[in-house]
Amino acid sequence: MKLLRSFKLHNDKIWSIDYSSGLLATASSDLRIKILRIGDIGSDDIDEKNKENDDDDNRLLDELDDSAHKKTIRSVAWRPNSNILAAGSFDSTISIWSKEDYQEDEVAGNNFSMDLLAIIEGHENEVKSVAWSQDGYFLATCSRDKSVWIWEADEVGEEYECVSVLQEHSQDIKHVVWHPTQNVLASSSYDDTIRVWKEFDEDWECAAVLNGHEGTVWCSDFEHSSVEKNDSMRLCSGSDDAKVKVWKFDGVNEDSEDIWICESTLPPVHSGPVYSVCWNDDGLIASAGSDGVIAIYKEDETLKGKWNCIEKNEKSHTFFEINCIKWIKNNNDETLLLSASDDGHVNMWNVNKN
Amino acid sequence: MSEFINENPEILDDSQLPTRKNDANDLLLGISDSIANLERKNLLLKIDNSVESEVLQNIELLDKLLALQPVPLLVSDADENESTDMEDDLEESDPIDRQEIFDLIASISDPEHPLSLAQLAIVNLNNIEVIDSGKRDEIAHVIVRITPTITHCSLATLIGLGIRVRLERSLPSRFRIVIILTKGSHQSENQVNKQLNDKERVAAACENPQLLGVVSNMLSTCK
Repeated sequence: MKLLRSFKLHNDKIWSIDYSSGLLATASSDLRIKILRIGDIGSDDIDEKNKENDDDDNRLLDELDDSAHKKTIRSVAWRPNSNILAAGSFDSTISIWSKEDYQEDEVAGNNFSMDLLAIIEGHENEVKSVAWSQDGYFLATCSRDKSVWIWEADEVGEEYECVSVLQEHSQDIKHVVWHPTQNVLASSSYDDTIRVWKEFDEDWECAAVLNGHEGTVWCSDFEHSSVEKNDSMRLCSGSDDAKVKVWKFDGVNEDSEDIWICESTLPPVHSGPVYSVCWNDDGLIASAGSDGVIAIYKEDETLKGKWNCIEKNEKSHTFFEINCIKWIKNNNDETLLLSASDDGHVNMWNVNKN
Repeated sequence: MSEFINENPEILDDSQLPTRKNDANDLLLGISDSIANLERKNLLLKIDNSVESEVLQNIELLDKLLALQPVPLLVSDADENESTDMEDDLEESDPIDRQEIFDLIASISDPEHPLSLAQLAIVNLNNIEVIDSGKRDEIAHVIVRITPTITHCSLATLIGLGIRVRLERSLPSRFRIVIILTKGSHQSENQVNKQLNDKERVAAACENPQLLGVVSNMLSTCK
């Protein structure tokens, strides 16, 4: 894999990044959220001259008001098909920001700015992850208070009604993620499990508990399968036990509980906690963590469930830990990888698909 | 005195604690300042690429030197004391050894007793492990095993946090720090270990003003 760009954005850890319609958002311990325009960068853009002339300041569209949160910003998420951003903080609140009718060419006028729309309170302590459902209708948040909250949002993003508080994890919850096409949620926890949640009769219930990791589960991500069928649902997960696993939905038992099995444990690559995993449209899984390694895995074309590591990129942020990776699609619909690290940088990578 | 969790801990005298004195590395790290060592330092300073270099002709010394990449700063610092000089050097040079780690954490105060962690034998030299190539662009590891004075010590997590904060502030970022309890030293060993090594929990703890206040007090006795 090739490094396309390295953006120095924060003076402290970057915990989380999200990308939508050409815009990158970052969450950092320095209490700042930055919005960067990066959608124009492509894989062929490796000309050193371009890199040198490319000023980070030019790309920086906005730096959100750092008085909104009193502690570390832990997680950011763009609402699908909108210009609304949610941010979760260790100060136990969630902030909602918006920019109305943003067009890419407005950038030239440099009038991009996001305003604080709402502050959501409810969690007892640190919020660790925020995620929007694919239709943008629900916002899921999780916290050290061992609960996942599901909020129903109005169209403009100003009003939030809590529709469910899920308290079945026995320890703090590190991460939540929605299925890319269905209203199914997965939560990863310090209790070493992943729980899968579904809507039943206007309430949310735990459909399955995924046991198998031998340490905190830091992150999970659903497969972006082109087949939109329930029976092909899969999830990958990264854990403190240094392993990446793939889980598969395997039907429903007599008590009408979902059965999930651990389909594969990916080839061991990492030597420390895996903080982030991400599954892309082409079926590749990327993982990254404390050891600074970014690994890319590809499934065997004939033998489903057998995975090979096709790339192991060491020192991706020199000796710093990587907290978050994300596959993105640039303006030309090209798939690229972003990584965010304790060094305050976001790196942009072009990954060879084979 | 019943407010103490452990009323009668065993206490070591400062003179029993390990110091740099007997360490064979002294020769090259240039910490003790005997005349012989100063001469060796002067010799090292004469390194150049010419064949005539005294050092290059002295294979034994050269071997030692190569083991210490990158080459340490060899200033003649007869007046500088050990601790200040050490912290500055961490950024640039030598592989870090367990004595250095011990020196960083030994004088942290116990949150309960007016004594240091070393005096209470909560930390000791043999329970520190360092894996460090000395290369500035490579990840290095420090493992500190701590032994609380009693097996139900509710302050174990706090002590561990104090050690972690001290090391994170003092060591270069390439160090990954692992703090665990010595086997069998605590009733909830796994629970405490997990908490002490959870990056996110540690980060959140460090933003908690009360907790940070206690930790600062513990670290106020550090040299």
